[in-house]
Amino acid sequence: MSDLLSNLSLGFSVALTLQNILLAFLGCLVGTLIGVLPGVGPIATIAMLLPITFGFDPTGALIMLAGIYYGAQYGGSTTAILVNIPGEATSVVTALDGHQMARQGRAGVALGVAAIGSFFAGTVATLVIAALGAPLTGLALLFGPTEYFSLMVMGLVFAVVLARGSILKAIAMILVGVLLSTVGLDLETGEERMTFGLPFLSDGIDFAVLAMGIFGIAEIMRNLDHTEHRDVVRQSIGRLLPNKDDFKQAYKPAIRGTIIGAILGILPGNGAVLGPFASYTLEKKLAKDPRRFGRGAIEGVAGPESANNAGAQTSFIPLLTLGIPPNAVMALMVGAMTIHGIIPGPQVMTKNPNLFWGMIASMWVGNLMLLIINLPLVGMWVRLLKVPYRLLFPAILMFCCIGIYSINSLPTDVMFIALFGLVGYTLMKFGFEPAPMLLGFVLGKLMEENLRRALIISRGSLETFIERPVSAGLLAVSAILLVIALLPSIRKGRDEVFTE
Amino acid sequence: MPASHEGSGVSGHRGPVRAPQGIAGGILLIALAALALWLTRDLDQGTLNAMGPAMLPRWLAIGVGLSGLALIAFAFIRDGEPLERWSLRGPFFVILAILAFAVTIRPFSLGSLTIPGLGVLVAGPLAIILGGYATNEARFRDLLILALSLTPFCMVLFGDLLNLPIPIFPQAMASLFPADWSQKAIMRLMAAVLVVAALVVFFTTRGSRKTAIDVADHSGRI
Repeated sequence: MSDLLSNLSLGFSVALTLQNILLAFLGCLVGTLIGVLPGVGPIATIAMLLPITFGFDPTGALIMLAGIYYGAQYGGSTTAILVNIPGEATSVVTALDGHQMARQGRAGVALGVAAIGSFFAGTVATLVIAALGAPLTGLALLFGPTEYFSLMVMGLVFAVVLARGSILKAIAMILVGVLLSTVGLDLETGEERMTFGLPFLSDGIDFAVLAMGIFGIAEIMRNLDHTEHRDVVRQSIGRLLPNKDDFKQAYKPAIRGTIIGAILGILPGNGAVLGPFASYTLEKKLAKDPRRFGRGAIEGVAGPESANNAGAQTSFIPLLTLGIPPNAVMALMVGAMTIHGIIPGPQVMTKNPNLFWGMIASMWVGNLMLLIINLPLVGMWVRLLKVPYRLLFPAILMFCCIGIYSINSLPTDVMFIALFGLVGYTLMKFGFEPAPMLLGFVLGKLMEENLRRALIISRGSLETFIERPVSAGLLAVSAILLVIALLPSIRKGRDEVFTE
Repeated sequence: MPASHEGSGVSGHRGPVRAPQGIAGGILLIALAALALWLTRDLDQGTLNAMGPAMLPRWLAIGVGLSGLALIAFAFIRDGEPLERWSLRGPFFVILAILAFAVTIRPFSLGSLTIPGLGVLVAGPLAIILGGYATNEARFRDLLILALSLTPFCMVLFGDLLNLPIPIFPQAMASLFPADWSQKAIMRLMAAVLVVAALVVFFTTRGSRKTAIDVADHSGRI
């Protein structure tokens, strides 16, 4: 316990320097600004804004990036509430009741509850990370390549189970993602694999380029297909702070949402996505009058928003302790860390305690910033949302180009976002979800590395994966999950959760 | 957009194919797998004990191909989604805009064609205006104003404040200014010129199409 306190106070002494507070503030502000734009989710936002953090020291850069992440996340909720266009999967649920509240002239309360719920969830999640950080890091040191490989398999299975739509398509996407990650020089022999002889491909495909193409450019192409029908609320925003009754209705869902979100966020394989859905379903089940849901129930905003934020934050745990990015956003964080010369994993905490605890403390600071920035600035976001898409998307397009060019100063990177944009658009048109592919890509390199190492240690015997108890346990969980997901009755339930 | 709503309904004809989207997706996956197998054809697979570079890609490609086959098989058994209508305009202009940016941002040569590096000053507006035509609601005047105001913003933000190594203006232009001017001074001047140009365009063409100007209309619906 005293360890926890001394660690946190170290963290706050780093996070509360003037420079770092300013960076957290800037990150949150810019993140929200871009994240509010309809059709721009956190992944595209971070990929676009990555270069602006290059000039700072590693701690400052990561603090700012984390701020951008929370800002983008929160911006997505704002858009969901005010326009009914969820920027990404996790704010789909918020749009249901949040937008209805906005139509009833209670947009302010919805935004306020979302912000306060998020702040509460963020505070709890920060403590969870601080408390679990050290023990999990210890656990990670016991993991060998065999266990790492099995853990990542479990992550991918989670991603398959959690993906929307056909399971077969999700599996195919993961395989394609891992396949894409094998492009480039072979780690051991140095031979070129699938590079078409192009020199810039020998380092492999840059993750930021892939993410920007699939989540930035493809999204623009897809949005252009639909005639724009943006339903910016016409009603006044109303008061921002929830009153006593609102608070009474909202605080229990917020607490439950926080717990659900925090637990799911720790799971590898993007468990955080499930948080808002699970919380919404739970609140609906617990409600005395479930019919209110979908018609502006405040619980339907408070619960999922808290779950969303808690999950967004605890998903840092696998990255910081095990070095495994559980989702695409965290993979971008890995990219940012490596640019600054930090290799994510259990050694970060021991080698760079300032960075580790500073970042954790800054998460709380970032959440506080969001509360302070967003509520007074709602009017500005509403204005921004009224800019028609025909003017927004060329601007987004240019920012994407400049952003991706500045990362490596390579015009070929810019061309590749066009290519991956087209690929992503095609995949979406054929009913594939790009998110599992990205996760497959993220974990692919790590998986190959660990698989090879594990097989070298075991002298080529695949049995090592079931002989070692931890690895066997992880694989068993994955197998059970997959089987359960394929059972017809469960599949129906899963589809219901996602269509709600 | 011409992308119509027809795609959302159940397609009229009833052939053996019950999920056209599945067929298309399956073919795509098989093509991808074939490409990967062809690209790794010369690489050594090795053994489990000492894996070669081709081992993983090859098995993954086989997995992708099998998923493709399964998708096609299911398309004959189970009902599924019809193919959505595609619009070509959107992707075409978006890709064109990105390519235009990529080839103009810094010196680029392809065969006998050589384009001097023109920097954000040219690449930015090019991307905005070309990209803007991806929708048929595009209006040249609005895009021009957008380009003329966003470009200086980016020049100052990325080049001046953040010091990113991104080319801002054509090097040839630097010789037009007195030798003792710094890069940044030139950049700031150009940004100012662009802003003035944006204002000029905004005010001089204002009367001609009054209705088109209102960017944020206040009815709430766009």
